[in-house]
Amino acid sequence: MTHPFQCIATVQLPGRDEYLAAACGPKVFLVNAGKGEIASEWSASSLTTATSNGNDDAAGTSERPAKKQKTSNAASHAPNIIKLTVSLSQQYIVAVTDDKVIHVFEITGHGELKALSQRCMPKRPCAIQVLPDNATIICADKFGDVYSLPLLPSDAALTQNASPGAEHVDVMKTDEATFKPSATNLTVHTERNRKALEAQMQQKNFSAKKEPLKFEHKLLLGHVSMLTDVVFATRQVDGKQRSHIITADRDEHIRISRAPPQSHVIEGYCLGHSEFVSKLCLIPGTDILVSGGGDSWLGVWDWPSFKLRRKFDIRAAVLDTIRQDAEVSGADKTDTIKKADKDVVVSGLWTAPFANAKGKQETALLVACERRPSLLIIPISRLMLKKDESMTQTRVGHSVLDVTCIGDSVVLSLDTRSAGPGRLQPMKLFQSSGNDKGAVDYERDEEMDAKLKCLTKSSTDAHADDKALDELLYGVANLRKRRGWGDDAGGTQVDPSDTKRDDNGTEAMDVEDDLTVHKP
Amino acid sequence: MAGPPNKRQKREEKHEGQMPQKKFYRQRAHANPFSDHDLTYPEHPSAMRWSEHYPHFVATIPAAVPKDDPIATRDYNEYYVARMEKRVEVADIGCGFGGLLFALAPRMPATLILGLEIRTSVAEFVQDKAKALRLQQQQQPPASAGAETPPVPGGYENVSCIRANTMKFLPNFFAKAQLTKIFLCFPDPHFKARKHKARIVSATLNSEYAFVLAPGGMVYTITDVEDLHVWMVEHLAAHPSFARVAEGEAEGDECVAVMRRETEEGKKVERNGGRKFVAVFRRLEDPAWP
Ligand SMILES: C[S@@+](CC[C@H](N)C(=O)[O-])C[C@H]1O[C@@H](n2cnc3c(N)ncnc32)[C@H](O)[C@@H]1O
Repeated sequence: MTHPFQCIATVQLPGRDEYLAAACGPKVFLVNAGKGEIASEWSASSLTTATSNGNDDAAGTSERPAKKQKTSNAASHAPNIIKLTVSLSQQYIVAVTDDKVIHVFEITGHGELKALSQRCMPKRPCAIQVLPDNATIICADKFGDVYSLPLLPSDAALTQNASPGAEHVDVMKTDEATFKPSATNLTVHTERNRKALEAQMQQKNFSAKKEPLKFEHKLLLGHVSMLTDVVFATRQVDGKQRSHIITADRDEHIRISRAPPQSHVIEGYCLGHSEFVSKLCLIPGTDILVSGGGDSWLGVWDWPSFKLRRKFDIRAAVLDTIRQDAEVSGADKTDTIKKADKDVVVSGLWTAPFANAKGKQETALLVACERRPSLLIIPISRLMLKKDESMTQTRVGHSVLDVTCIGDSVVLSLDTRSAGPGRLQPMKLFQSSGNDKGAVDYERDEEMDAKLKCLTKSSTDAHADDKALDELLYGVANLRKRRGWGDDAGGTQVDPSDTKRDDNGTEAMDVEDDLTVHKP
Repeated sequence: MAGPPNKRQKREEKHEGQMPQKKFYRQRAHANPFSDHDLTYPEHPSAMRWSEHYPHFVATIPAAVPKDDPIATRDYNEYYVARMEKRVEVADIGCGFGGLLFALAPRMPATLILGLEIRTSVAEFVQDKAKALRLQQQQQPPASAGAETPPVPGGYENVSCIRANTMKFLPNFFAKAQLTKIFLCFPDPHFKARKHKARIVSATLNSEYAFVLAPGGMVYTITDVEDLHVWMVEHLAAHPSFARVAEGEAEGDECVAVMRRETEEGKKVERNGGRKFVAVFRRLEDPAWP
């Protein structure tokens, strides 16, 4: 089995070579796309990421014993990369591993990855972005919170007794449980105190006091829901730049907050989804936000006014491919379609430029649905129309895991685990000259394909079975809520048989009843 | 289905207009605010059918408009929901059995007051009680006919309750700056440090209260747990959208007196000779954009 590239990203240093960064299990490969060779590679390891026991403890104790067990098991082999992003300056790569660690790398002149820092977050990050200032990371987590951290932690913050957030009380009062600096092995200097602290940390009930994060960070905002995505949006108003943080959650919300230092101000909500939202995508050069998730349509929003411009149906297109596949395989169509109907879940939204017939650059929206072997391509001009729903479907044969644009090529990362080669599929988009004039057509980009061949052999030594791989790659459908079963206690716990979804983080939000002290 | 079947049956045995009895609506004390309840909530505040809760406040079609006039459809909004003359302005979050609601209603008869409660049968009790009180009021002989008790201003038409998890779905019910008062009375304390996110007051949740409150609007808090009081004061006062109201001014506010006296919990604490900690906060204007 070949491990697919779960995340890919592009580094385009001005006046220098273009690089493709591809994550394969715990590894990151940086490919010089001009030369067609691997410039460097890096691998996360349980050693590098399991930092101080303090951090591990902070993470572990907030969860139930069963989960804890799982965490420590996972730590025995290298953690997988779950997010990969590049700073606007193209100078830094930020990767998140599934042990909650944020890794920052500098890309040096020859395409080397220089690991700069590793910071373990209190909860599993679900989305991360380097702000346009090239100095700040925002990180949304499964517990519903968004933090900001400096891209490059100052040495002082790492070595001294950092009192995070203290300089910036203007943001908001942060949660003491996490932030009030208490004794840590960094602050305790005498041998006796250190021993006492160690003993205290080993005590089972030490969980009451959580280890504060030792690096500078600020809590910007939070939902009481699992966050799924975050984007940073900027627009001009009266000649001035206004910046926003847009967050999406499992409870159908899209929230628009101001950017720091005013992230406590909620400007509004884009409401209208009836199922979880899993992905947000801003359309460059417009005030349009596209959202997707458990609904069988994409939300097309005018986000500054919080108005839903239209619901763009994708169900028909997705079902169409299923029908065709069923025909080929000779499976019972009605059955397959019935089953598939419920599983139209959007797992990826991207934009890509293409040249129209007049040679002018336009933008296309690319949509991936989880476990569907095709990519939908919709020209933005069509998204804005009231009715037209026609779109191009690229039948790529495997599910699309990630997309990145490099040069004038669009590279898809595919789950070809059983087929073997073809994990990365570069293609070129252009305006269709056929019957459907406005549509976008595509062709394989052989040239880029040849350049990326150098990755063919690259893989991970980490042993991955189908089940583990599915867990890593396909978490979105598990976000769907189960409705309709009992609620007599007014607080039904998550269906116990639904362990999958538990893993996906619902459980992280779980609180048992320890409140008997206060009897109404 | 809410409540064990036998309770439900007993509840339904009461005649219309008869006061509901709490014992038939009891429910496990605590609901997990993080889990997936089978909640119903509108996808957008404009989709909420307030007419079912406040039938007296449904906007009426002007009599002069002919029946087939398309303008008549303007009584419905884009979600085909009947338009209302008024919007809810006062919210009691975690209202329990609604003692505060029924005490406030006659004091502000022209203002719509809503209780929000996560426990199904407790919310049903409040709804049933509102209906029963309304009916009683309607059946009252006019004051001139020598009624023993004078009719209550507003006839309880301005008070209702919904079942909701306010920690997740407040913005589904209320638009920006819709509310003028929010009550947080005797919230569950959630003692353990790692459960602080389950508290009804937190740094991040306060931004949602600020969103639904109009500038100048108030948040009222009361608790008998001193630690929780300190926590709420710390977090609300530190939030840039709120400023604590001076104690003198707060004590002069009639709502504070009512909140001390009329909440179910307030009465219980009174009986046990416990202390009550009160704090009031004003919603400030949002800062200018940087
Ligand atoms: C201790 S009782 C206080 C009741 C009432 N406010 C009083 O003072 O008498 C707290 C109430 O808050 C409700 N509650 C807790 N979390 C809630 C939530 N997330 N949304 C709505 N109600 C909630 C509980 O069900 C409970 O009825």
